[in-house]
Amino acid sequence: MTSIADHELVARAASSQDAAAFGELVRRHQSHVRNFLRKLSGDITMADDLAQDCFMHAWDKLHTFSGRGSFIGWLLKVAYTTFLQSKRKSKRYAEILEEVGHDAEAKSRTHAVQADEVTDLDKFLAVLSEEERAVMVMSYACGLSHREISEATAMPVGTVKSVIFRGKEKIRTSFDIKDHQHG
Amino acid sequence: MTSKIINMAERLKDNEDRLLESMFASDSIADDGFSAMIEKKVRRRLWLRRMILPVATLIGALVSYKPIAGLVTAVASLTSMLPQELLSAPQELVPQLPMIVLGGMLLATCLVGLRALED
Repeated sequence: MTSIADHELVARAASSQDAAAFGELVRRHQSHVRNFLRKLSGDITMADDLAQDCFMHAWDKLHTFSGRGSFIGWLLKVAYTTFLQSKRKSKRYAEILEEVGHDAEAKSRTHAVQADEVTDLDKFLAVLSEEERAVMVMSYACGLSHREISEATAMPVGTVKSVIFRGKEKIRTSFDIKDHQHG
Repeated sequence: MTSKIINMAERLKDNEDRLLESMFASDSIADDGFSAMIEKKVRRRLWLRRMILPVATLIGALVSYKPIAGLVTAVASLTSMLPQELLSAPQELVPQLPMIVLGGMLLATCLVGLRALED
């Protein structure tokens, strides 16, 4: 099954509810999806939970994949939506905790990034907004084209380009990347 | 043709883009049973979906058995009150009516059985 193209596996999984075909798709793309979610959330455990949710959502919505773009582009769209939904839910939960007076727990829930393992990339990602982070990760870590990112994030291509430009600008000004660029 | 486009896109990338790519690059994450777990979850969900209809039908039949039995008894006692000519009228018009009803029921059962086998 390893030689079969993604689109064919999707067709097989969607039309005949083939769990093995879907399993092969998961095997091929789990690393990209988990990496994307890890960079976006900054929390390995949470990212892996979200990745599970993402693949289950993808299974439910497999029939909506039109086959026009790449499957990984579509999958990252599902992952991004799953991440945003979970963020909204945990934000609401934190608000409820705050309302009932559990301030400490609420704060710990909103700050998911683990302070013990801060890499250079984490520092770069920290200066970016959530939207910029998602777009930059899709572009530079997952290698998606501007069009694919536009489809995944439901932003016009022009907006994607300006978000990338803004993100680069932020990283450049925060970490003085100019020096590296010329030498 | 594709490689030409890729080369062109590569040339359009500036040093900064390449630097960012190298910074964002990360090792691929080992599967470690992740995909097997998702596949298992999908199979369980499929199995549940297949079981829902028969189980719901069975529960429905068990729950509605008593009221339906009461309804049948009531209808039977009502038909005894109707004149005999009225009851035998449909059978006189279509003599094969019991066979048609039986055939229809068999056909419906076969279709449901085939669908279950196909699943």
